[in-house]
Amino acid sequence: MEPEQHPIRLVVADDLRRSRLTVLFRLLLSLPHLVWLWLWTLVVLLAAVVAWIAALFAGRLPDPFHRFLSAYVRYGTHVAAYLSLAANPFPGFVGRPGSFPVDLEVAEPERQNRWSIFFRPILGIPALLLAAAFSGGNGGGGGGGAIGTSAFLGWFASLVRGRMPGGLRGLLAYSIRYVAQTYGYLLLLTSRYPDAHPAAPVLERPLDHPIRLEAREDLRRSRLTVLFRLLLYLPHLVWLLLWGIAAFLAAIANWFAALVRGRPAPPLHRFLAAYVRYLTHTSAFVYLVANPFPGFTGRPGTYPVELLIAEPERQNRWVTGFRLLLALPAILLLSALNAAFGISAALAWFHSLVLGRTRPGLLGLGAYSLRYAGQVYAYLLLLTVRYPHSAPPA
Amino acid sequence: MPRPLSGFLAVLAAGGWLAAAWYLWQTSVPTGLDLPDLEPSRFFSRATLEEADDYGLVLDVLAVGAAAALVAVLAVYAAKGAAFARESAAGRIGTGMLLGMLGLGLVWLFQIGFGVAQLWWQRRHGLSRQGYVEWLLGDWWALGAEFLFVCLALVIVMGLAGPLGDRWWLAAAPAFVGLTLLFAFLLPYLLAEATARPDPQLAADARRVAATQGVEKVPLRVQEVSGHTSLPNAYAAGLGPSRKVVLWDTLLDDRFSDEEVLVVVAHEYGHHAQQHIWKLAGWFALFAFPGTAIVALATRRRGGMRRPEAVPLGLFLVVVLQLLAQPVSNEFSRRLEAEADWRALEATRDPEAAAGLFEEFTRLALEDPEPPGWAYFFQATHPSVMERIAMAEAWRARREGRSRAG
Ligand SMILES: [Zn+2]
Repeated sequence: MEPEQHPIRLVVADDLRRSRLTVLFRLLLSLPHLVWLWLWTLVVLLAAVVAWIAALFAGRLPDPFHRFLSAYVRYGTHVAAYLSLAANPFPGFVGRPGSFPVDLEVAEPERQNRWSIFFRPILGIPALLLAAAFSGGNGGGGGGGAIGTSAFLGWFASLVRGRMPGGLRGLLAYSIRYVAQTYGYLLLLTSRYPDAHPAAPVLERPLDHPIRLEAREDLRRSRLTVLFRLLLYLPHLVWLLLWGIAAFLAAIANWFAALVRGRPAPPLHRFLAAYVRYLTHTSAFVYLVANPFPGFTGRPGTYPVELLIAEPERQNRWVTGFRLLLALPAILLLSALNAAFGISAALAWFHSLVLGRTRPGLLGLGAYSLRYAGQVYAYLLLLTVRYPHSAPPA
Repeated sequence: MPRPLSGFLAVLAAGGWLAAAWYLWQTSVPTGLDLPDLEPSRFFSRATLEEADDYGLVLDVLAVGAAAALVAVLAVYAAKGAAFARESAAGRIGTGMLLGMLGLGLVWLFQIGFGVAQLWWQRRHGLSRQGYVEWLLGDWWALGAEFLFVCLALVIVMGLAGPLGDRWWLAAAPAFVGLTLLFAFLLPYLLAEATARPDPQLAADARRVAATQGVEKVPLRVQEVSGHTSLPNAYAAGLGPSRKVVLWDTLLDDRFSDEEVLVVVAHEYGHHAQQHIWKLAGWFALFAFPGTAIVALATRRRGGMRRPEAVPLGLFLVVVLQLLAQPVSNEFSRRLEAEADWRALEATRDPEAAAGLFEEFTRLALEDPEPPGWAYFFQATHPSVMERIAMAEAWRARREGRSRAG
């Protein structure tokens, strides 16, 4: 999946190394930037109105506005990256391009459709909702959103190890990029809609994880099944609950088996793998990541969104014993990512109902969330010993 | 099977069916009871009669429209619906479930208009207190319940049609009857949340009325519905130990006298005393066997009910058969209701209160005292208000006749 370049790109040149001392005081160290950003925002609010009127006349954003507003969005990106531990060094105060390891490249101003300029404040609302879910502002269900939760978890990890986990940094870069593109769109830096597709930026190849997700790039959605999607999901919900009771008992048995034998019992592994696959199929259906009505058995290869689960492997008994505790950070992150996922599904619902197809970005975000969810459940149910990896797919 | 034997079995089955139908048809209302022919104008003002007439006519027309939409949508769906199988990645049964749900979903879409119009009409006459959005949301979730129900039915039918082929109905019909009984048994527990105990005076009166009918163990409950509607209603629910009589709180807001409320209570206890819920389940069983057999036969050219492509046609057939059976099922229901009225008269020995209650149904709920024949034939599950008043009169005449003779 290679979407064409968005005019607003995030460039990451970060080496994951973190200075423990600045991590410890990161929030306080950010205070001057937050105050400065706030003042800058007041000016931008006024400038944006003038820029909007000017752009309506000129059919494009005049150059001085473009420079000023891009600097603002870039600066905001630097501050967000610093505060959330997506980057290590203390940023400058002017948003100079190329001055920070997590940087924003903004293309030159281009002609824009006047209608699109005129309705920009309204057109931006769906993106703003999703951006809010990422940053944990109003509407972010998962407490701090993906950014806040990643920063919270990353703070502990960086303090202890002096390094930011690559998965968290990947998720942060992805979320920050989306927020930056949203502001860029609202402030008329580009007429291209924000792209929720996680494919870019490529940071580092995600590890070859034993739990992978394959999503067919099929955007067509049947309007009728979209309209009734929630109700059509009901029989699956009933079946998920019933199967879930059995899976819960099987998971406990599997836990004892893994503690005693050092590896999960193959029949239980198969049973639980089918359950997690079924969970993935049905979630993909109800969140509109895929179109067709899924089957009830979780049989592999039956659905356009497929979770690939490796064979049972040896597992460290300590990691097995404390699995529930160890999984807590991943569960926290999952719930934050799910807040964005939920918003994206709502947007996909309206889009699909009207146009009969969904957007690649929403599909990508959905597949990404489902992959992470699959990894979290697989980790919890002892299908793998590998920790869930939160970076977006390459 | 050799030909004479299967012929013999068919005759036996038909004979058994007729005998069972005859048995269920009998009621304890005295045969030869002479219902006097009463003029509605003797009981109601002209304005009341006209309003009830208008009100009922519009609702009847809307009901016919909704039924026509139902048949039309499902007829088209029976022809074209199988194409939706491409929206499924599920197996045989799962795809069938999707097709069943989508059929009901389409019906819902095309019936919304009638539902809204009905609500508007009821609100106009002060009989509903529901808002439109509230109604739509409630209807949406009711559709969810229908989806789950059709899924369950299709799991049974298609699950059995796999191994049994076109004989699935021989096993499915008893399964449906069993499920009906199970739901009838469980219903009072599902409703327990929404109901409360009545006040002690009413509870004592109810126990007395119940005792005369031999069902004093069945408790009385009150359900709060006055937030949505002002229509008075009550029902008997449950089987054996789960049996309950439930009154809507709209009966207890001082529009009805204590004696009238007691007639309602006695009527519902009458349903329990005469085992009406068992009889209804038996009636359902009488139709379940031939009905499923017809569906099994008629879907054969689509590969039978084991194939998901046959589901839209199956859905259409079920609905059409149900509509065809409706007039005779309505007559059956009216017989049971008349019997419950008779039991109530015997238990309360108060024909004035009974007649007063039935009159209130027209004054307060705008029930047409003498609905047009076609509406009565296709839709009425209860005797008309005039018939019910006439029965109260007949009961009084019988008592007077007896006391004169004695
Ligand atoms: Zn009744």
